[in-house]
Amino acid sequence: MSVGFRAVQWNRAKLVYDAILLVGVALYIGLFLLIAYRIDPPKDLPAEIDLRIRAFGSCAFVMLTIILSIGPLARLDRRFLPLLYNRRHFGVLTFIIASLHVSYMLEWYAVQGNLPNLINELMTWGDYGKFIGFPFKVLGIIALGILFLMAATSHDFWLGLLTPRVWKGLHMALYVAYALVVMHVALGIMQYVHTPLIPAMLIGGFGIVTVLHLVAGWRERAGDRGGTAADGGWIAVGAPASIPDKGARIVAAPGGERIAVFRDGAEIGALTNLCAHQAGPIGEGRIIDGCVTCPWHGYQYRLADGCAPPPFTEKLATYRVRISNGVVEVHPDALQPGTPASIFLQATPE
Amino acid sequence: MRRSQRTVHRALWPLLALAVGLGLALGLGLRAPPAAPQAAEVTR
Repeated sequence: MSVGFRAVQWNRAKLVYDAILLVGVALYIGLFLLIAYRIDPPKDLPAEIDLRIRAFGSCAFVMLTIILSIGPLARLDRRFLPLLYNRRHFGVLTFIIASLHVSYMLEWYAVQGNLPNLINELMTWGDYGKFIGFPFKVLGIIALGILFLMAATSHDFWLGLLTPRVWKGLHMALYVAYALVVMHVALGIMQYVHTPLIPAMLIGGFGIVTVLHLVAGWRERAGDRGGTAADGGWIAVGAPASIPDKGARIVAAPGGERIAVFRDGAEIGALTNLCAHQAGPIGEGRIIDGCVTCPWHGYQYRLADGCAPPPFTEKLATYRVRISNGVVEVHPDALQPGTPASIFLQATPE
Repeated sequence: MRRSQRTVHRALWPLLALAVGLGLALGLGLRAPPAAPQAAEVTR
C-alpha cells in the first residue's frame, strides 16, 4: 500500500523471498556447470563459454516456467499464494539471467572474432522462410525485449501510471515471451544437440504450464456465469451463516463482474472483487485486523466503505446488501468507491 | 482480473499453446537424425 512514491518497499517476507530466489538460481547454475564439467570438460574457451550459455539459458527457461505456473497454482491451492507475493522480483531476476545468457552468446562470437557472422545469421532473409533453419536467435531476442519491457515497468510507479487494467494486459505478454522461448530452443539447440534432456525439458515445462492453466480455467469458469437476479435486480448470496466468518462468498453480477460479499461477525458488506492495486481477487482474501485483506499483496480495505485505512488512500467500489427472508442479497449496481454500504445482523449467525 | 481480461486470456492463450505445441512437435519431427558415427577404418 502506498501513500507516496518510494523506490522499493522492503519487508522481511520480500527479503526471504529474494534470498530463496538467489540461492535457487546460484544452486541451479552451479550444479549445471559442475555436472557438465564432470561429464565432458570443455576443451577450449569457446566450449567453456558455450556451457555458460546453456546454464543461464536453461535456468531462464525453468524460471519462466515457474513464473507462469504460480498464477494457476495459487488459484488451485491457497498454499501457493506466498509465491505470488513477490513474483515481480522473480520476473526481474529472470530478465537478468536471460540477459547474461545473451551476453555469453555475444562473447562466444567475439572470442572467435566471429561477430560479423552473427549479423549475417540474423540478416540472411531467405532463412526467415524456412521452418528448420529459421534464425532462432531472433525469437530469443524478441523474448528478451518483452522481458525487458516487463522488468522496466514492474514497479508500482508504472502500475499507477498505466492503471492496473493496462498494466495487467501489458504483462500478459509474458505468455508470448514464453512461446518465443520454447520455439527458440526447439528450432535452435534441439536441432543439433541430440540429447533427450532438451525435448524433455521443453515438453515438461510447456506441458506443466498448459495443464495447470486448463485445470484452473475449468474450475473458474462457473464463477463467470452471471448470478440469478431476483426482484429489483437483487442477487441472492445465501444465508448469513453460509458466508464464512472473516471470509467471503463471491457472486457474479449479470454482466459477469464478480462481487465479494464478506462477513465479519454480524457485519455484512459487499465490495468489488478487484483489488485497487493489481486487480487481485479480494474475495479470496480474509478479514485481518478488521480489514479486508487482498490475498496477493496484502492491500487492506475497511468492510464498511471499501476505503483503505488511513493514511492510505485506495478505495474500492461497494455494493448495497440486504437481508430478505433470511437470505443475504446484493444489488449488482456498483456504488461510488468509498461509499458506506455494510449492514449489521440482529445477531451473529452460528 | 476483470471479466474482459479473463475472456481475452482464455481466448488467446489456448491458441498460443496450440501453435507452440504444433511448432514443438514439428521441430521434433523434422529435426535431422544424429550424425552416424564415423566408420572404423578397415585395415587389411
